[in-house]
Parts: sequence; structure tokens; C-alpha cells
Amino acid sequence: MISITPRPLTSQQTIRDLTMLTPDQVALKIQNLNLSYGDKKVLHNISMLIPKGQVTAFIGPSGCGKSTLLRCINRMNDLIDHCYIDGEIIIHDQNIYSKHIDVAMLRRKIGMVFQRPNPFPKSIYENVIYGLRLVGEKNRRVLDEAVETSLKNAALWNEVKDRLHDSALGLSGGQQQRLVIARAIAVQPEVLLLDEPTSALDPISTLTIEELINDLKKQFTVVIVTHNMQQAARVSDQTAFMYMGDLIEYSDTNTLFTTPSKKKTEDYITGRYG
Amino acid sequence: MNKNKHNRRFSILKFKEQNSVMDSDYKKWFQSGSPWIWLSAAGVSISLISVLGLLWLIASKGLSYFWPATIYQFEMNDLQGKSDTVIGEIYDRESIPVSQLAYSNIVFSPETKMVERILIKTGNRELVNLDFRWLLVPQIAKTTTPKNVAVIQRRTNGNFYGFIEKVILSGKEVDKSQLTELVERVDVFQEKIESLQKSDIGAINYQLDRLRLKKKKLKLSHVLMTTKLNSIDNEIAQLQSKYNNLEQNLMALRNQVTRDKIIVRTMSGNEITIPLDNVLTVSYANQLSLLDKIGVFIEKTGHFVSDDPREANTEGGVFPAIFGTVLMVLLMTVIVSPFGVIAAIYLHEYAGNNALTKMLRIAVINLAGVPSIVYGIFGLGFFVYMLGGSIDALFFPETLPSPTFGTPGVLWSAITLAILTLPVVIVSTEEGLARIPTSMRHGSLALGATKVETLWRIILPIASPAIMTGIILAIARAAGEVAPLMLVGVVKMAPTLPVDGNFPFLHLERKFMHLGFHIYDVGFQSPNVEAARPLVYATAFLLVTIIVSLNMSAVSIRNKLREKYRALEH
Repeated sequence: MISITPRPLTSQQTIRDLTMLTPDQVALKIQNLNLSYGDKKVLHNISMLIPKGQVTAFIGPSGCGKSTLLRCINRMNDLIDHCYIDGEIIIHDQNIYSKHIDVAMLRRKIGMVFQRPNPFPKSIYENVIYGLRLVGEKNRRVLDEAVETSLKNAALWNEVKDRLHDSALGLSGGQQQRLVIARAIAVQPEVLLLDEPTSALDPISTLTIEELINDLKKQFTVVIVTHNMQQAARVSDQTAFMYMGDLIEYSDTNTLFTTPSKKKTEDYITGRYG
Repeated sequence: MNKNKHNRRFSILKFKEQNSVMDSDYKKWFQSGSPWIWLSAAGVSISLISVLGLLWLIASKGLSYFWPATIYQFEMNDLQGKSDTVIGEIYDRESIPVSQLAYSNIVFSPETKMVERILIKTGNRELVNLDFRWLLVPQIAKTTTPKNVAVIQRRTNGNFYGFIEKVILSGKEVDKSQLTELVERVDVFQEKIESLQKSDIGAINYQLDRLRLKKKKLKLSHVLMTTKLNSIDNEIAQLQSKYNNLEQNLMALRNQVTRDKIIVRTMSGNEITIPLDNVLTVSYANQLSLLDKIGVFIEKTGHFVSDDPREANTEGGVFPAIFGTVLMVLLMTVIVSPFGVIAAIYLHEYAGNNALTKMLRIAVINLAGVPSIVYGIFGLGFFVYMLGGSIDALFFPETLPSPTFGTPGVLWSAITLAILTLPVVIVSTEEGLARIPTSMRHGSLALGATKVETLWRIILPIASPAIMTGIILAIARAAGEVAPLMLVGVVKMAPTLPVDGNFPFLHLERKFMHLGFHIYDVGFQSPNVEAARPLVYATAFLLVTIIVSLNMSAVSIRNKLREKYRALEH
């Protein structure tokens, strides 16, 4: 069982977890992360390990800080004025908040999909290769291949292969979200962050995306934020429960949903609040 | 008693009820919003009617200038028994009170209060002191439309109305039917003369001028290189001999042109000789069928938009003014768009959200309210004298004291108007940037794009319809602006266009003609205001047409862009 409980974070627990996961099984390590918007503290001293090649879900009531934590991982919070972060997130032995990190490079390695599908007003093809164009890829064969594999991995290829050069804005919401996933995986990231990816979609599209997440973990480490506990139970390997900016409980999904060790977790998953 | 009282009370209640029903009907109508719908519909109709009315007025008054008018012959008989013949076009018609005519010793029967009079364009400017004449309708004894009266359009002195008596080909009288041929022949020669004067001799003059300046520059640099000076002198001599050749050609052509003439009888019976080189067209307006008239109409319209002005702008075409207007507006657009967009990007994307930015924004908006003449003064003081003066001192010292850039010109006009329209572009671009959903920026940034890359690849394309809106508004404002241009570049008559065949082809330092100024000049500054009146309307109509077509092309570009990004506008 993986269980990291913050505050008070005993050294024993940390050591036990680190012994459970060998260093090359860890995709990223969050250490004592604090975040505040102006005077308002949003995240309190979060520490956790995110294992490689698995799906980790963040759950919790609205405003608990789960999306904020997710956005810390690819430094999207940098775009918000008066957002102060302290603590470390370590990938490949490097703190992503250290000064000499190239944020653009970091975001290339850590892809992100947002709540609402946000395809660019370009063709489907151009949307998928957007990240590759940024790094200056011009070879037509490479680009064509990237489009095909990405769309196949995102389970969209069969639906759009005949209209790759049509506008992406003509796709349905579910297709747009899969296109956005294809766009994110086209640059071959290591980690894929999904911020409530199905909250704006209908049930059938949601099911498709959930199946897709299952396939994606074969190639990428997936971190997903969801407000839907059933979804977390269905798709994730680990689940972290957050409440009011604290990481309350973090363990493998089965344990968390069947035998939660904290009262708050139990109250939340049994629907007493949230 | 009791019953009666009850009845009365009942009737009062009933009355009250009725009243309240009426009241509530009125209230209902008011609450339904219908009065506001009617009010706004009225507002829309009034604007529509005024726009259409304006277009109709200038179009009808302007376009009638090109329609061949019927020529009337009036036999006048004033009360003193003097008779007179007047030939001309009817120009205007009005009724005036008899008392206005008291000074002229004309006596009407006491019961006449109003008398009608018509304004006749009689032409023949060199024979009469006024080529317009009011005729009192009661004095007209007889009105005819003689078939054989000719309208002779001339290069100088305006139209001539009369009867062609003789056609003389190099001293010998020939048949009148040969006249059309002869006029066409003259036309061909005149065109040759013009092209010789303008392009060939013009080019030589231009080169001579440059060589003269080159020589002066060499002398100014105090390095006397005799070999160089000699080669320049050689070139000048060569050009001079070329020039002499061309001049001889020109003289020969001029002789050819003056070979023939016509003899015309005027309305007063005098015979006048008109050399054919002064004749543009000869038409028998009263013999034209409807189809012929349409042909003449199209031909005259074509000449109006493609010819140079003549006779102090009161005759001929307005081509240089059209060219100047369009060139200046295009230059202005090229200057204002990048500056406006860059400023808007800075204000919206990079400048911090603080008091200074807010002040800047307010300053930009207020800039749009500064009267245009103030921009003209600023342009004259800053661009023309300071900037242009320094450019002259640095790069064109050889031409001084006559200025090159230190004098009003098309470049300074374009820049002045660019500053005038800058706020419009900034404001609408900023609005466009603000409308873009943040999810677009985040999507691009999350894929590893930097802020600049996001701007170039995502934000600017999506904002392009808003940028185009700003440019459309800028064009609409700049194309109609006249006041500042009078200070920084517009002239009544520019001898050369700002674009010609001499290197560097686009001469930004030259002065130019502008339709807006042309309207003012023709309407109020010309020696013959009456004659120029239809020209004012025609030019105004043309100006509106040009602004509308410039706008329409920008609007169609914007609509195409909008179509592309429509799905984003939630």
C-alpha cells in the first residue's frame, strides 16, 4: 500500500514509501509544496510521489486545490499574478522551480489537457502538429506520421482520417477533447496532466475518454483531476484525496475506496459532504 | 332612498372599473415594450432615409453633369421692344418676387407677384463677360430646339454653342462631314504631344535635374574631381541634344495640330474661327437618340475619372485626385496597422495592470477626440519642418535652399493621418485581444510555446478580424479627412503624380491632389463657381464611391477572417 499523509509528515512514512518505489519507478516527486494566491494559502505542505506509467487521480470537493496542484506540475500557475509557490517538484533529479529551468521545455515534457476542449482554430492536422512546429519540425513525412500515430493513440483516427485538413472547430465536443489529447501526446511528453477532461462532455464521450486513459498509461504517466469519484475508481491506479488545500490521504485506488484510513476520506467517498 | 344610494355607489364603482381598464390597457401597451420598438424603428428609419437621401442628392446632381443636355434657342422680347437670341442649356429654374426686379425697370401687371426665371449656360466665354444668364420666362417669345446647333467642347474657355458654317482644311473649305475625322486626327496628335511632353521630355528634365544636383553635391563636398565633373557635363550635353531633338518633334506635331479650323456662327450672328487644336469634341446634342446619349454619358464619365483637370480644375477629369487619395490612404494603412497592432499588443499583453497603463489607455482614447486640424499643425511642425528639415540637411544638402522632404508631401500626409487614426486601431485591436478565450493561450503555452510564439501563431490570427475592423474605421476616417492635409501635403494642382516611370518610381516627397480638397477648391475657390457646381457634386459622389469601395474590400477581407474563427465567438 502506498500511503503518504502530509502534516505531520513523519520521516518514517516517507522512507517506507521511498523504499516501496525504486527511483526509476518514480515519475515525479512533490516535496513540501506550498502555494498561495496573494494572502490566501491554497496548498499546504504537499508531498507525494507519482509513480511512472500509472494513472494517478486527484479527488476532493470543489476548491480543495486539486487543479492548482496539477497546474503546479507544468508551472501553469506562473501565468497567474500574485501566485507564490515554495517547495519542490522533482523530475529527473531536477527541481522544476529552480531558476535555470526552461519553462517551455518543461511544458513540452509535461503535457496538459484542460477542462473544456480548446482546439485551435486551425485544421485538425495543424492542431496535432502544433507542438512539433514549435520545435521546428518541417519534414512532411515525420509530421504525417506523427499525426497518424497521435490520432490513433487518441482513438480519433478512424473518425477524422478523411478530413484531416478541415477545421478542428467542426468536431463534436468529445472528438475535440480527444484531438486535444492527440495534440498533447504528439510531442511525446513523459507525463500527461488531465484537468477534469470529461466534465464538459456527454456520458458516451466520457466513456471513450476513460477507455483512452487506460491505453495512454502504457506510454505515459497520467495524472488526472476529477470531481467524479466513480471515474477516479474506474480509471486510476492511485488516488489522492485532498481537502481544503491538504493532502488527506494518498494510496492505491482500491484501498482508498474500500478501506480509507482517514475519517474525512470516508465521509467524502460515502457522500457525507462535497 | 337606500336603494338609490346603493345604485349611485354602484355606478361610481363601475366608472372606476372602466377607467382602470383603460388605464391598464395603456399600461399593458407600455409594459409590452412596443413604444420602445416603435421609437427605435423610427430612429433606424431616419438614419436610413438620411443616408439614402444624401446619396440620391449627390448622385443625381453629380451624374446629371455627364448627361448630354438639350440645347435650346430662346427668342427674347423685352418690353422695350428689343429682341435677342439666346442659345444654351437650362441650368436652373426658380421663382422670385417681382419686387426683386424693381431696379431693372421691368414693369409687370400689378397682380403678378412672382415671376419665374431660368438660368441658362450660354458658353462662349470669350465673347460674353458671363457665360451664365438669367432669363425671365415672361420675356421669352419663342423656344426652339434647333437640330443643327453644335456643342463644341474646348480645351480652353469651356463649351461653345453655335452653328458650324465652314470646315477649313489647311486653308481650303471642305465638306462638313469630314469634321469628325479631323477632330479625331487632332485628338491623336494631341495625345502624342502630351505623352512626348510628359514622359519623354519629363524624363529628360528629371535626369537633367538629378545631374545638376549631382554636380552641386560634388562641388559641395570640396573634392574637385574634374574627371567626374567632365563626365557629368558630357551626360548633360547628351541629354540636352536629345532634348532639342524632342523639342523639334514637338514643334512639328504642334504645327500639324494647328492646321485646321472651323468657322462657327454664334447666337448673335457673329462668325467666329475656332482652331481645331482647341476642340475636344463636337456633338449635335439635339440630334442624339437615347442610345447615343447613354454612350455620351458613359464616355464623359470615363473621361472624368481618367483625365487630368483643365481650366483651374473647373473642367476635365479628376484622375490625379483619385490617384492621390487612394495612394495616401493605402500608405496610411501600411503605416498605421503595424504601429497600432504593436501598441495594442504591448498594452494588453505586456504592460502591467497598473495605474500607468490605465492612464496610457485613457490618453489613447482621448487622442481620438483631438480635432484633426490640430494633427495638421503637429504634422507641419514636427514632421515637415523638424523631421523633413533634418532629413534634407543630412541627405539632400545639394538641393537646399529648396527643400526635398522639408516641405509638405504625400509621405507626411500619410504619417499625419496614421497618427490621427492610431487610437482607432489600438482600441479595436485591444478589444479583439481581450475577447480571445484564455483557454487558447493556455492550450498553446501548455504545448511548450513561449509567449511570443503563442502571440504569433494563435492570438494574432484569432484577433485579425478585430484588427481589420480597426483598419476599416481608420480608412473611413482618413479618406474623408481634408483639414490636416491642407497643411501637410495637398495642393490644388500637382504637375506630376507621386508615382511615375522615373527611378525610384514612388516619390514620397511630392505633393498630391486629393478629392476632398478638390471639392473644396472647385466649389469655393474656382474662378467660375456656377460652372463648377455640378463638378462639386460629381466629385463628392466619386469620393463617397471610393471610400465605400475601400471599406467594402476591407469588410470582405474581415468577413472571410471572421468566418474562419466564428466558432470561437461564444
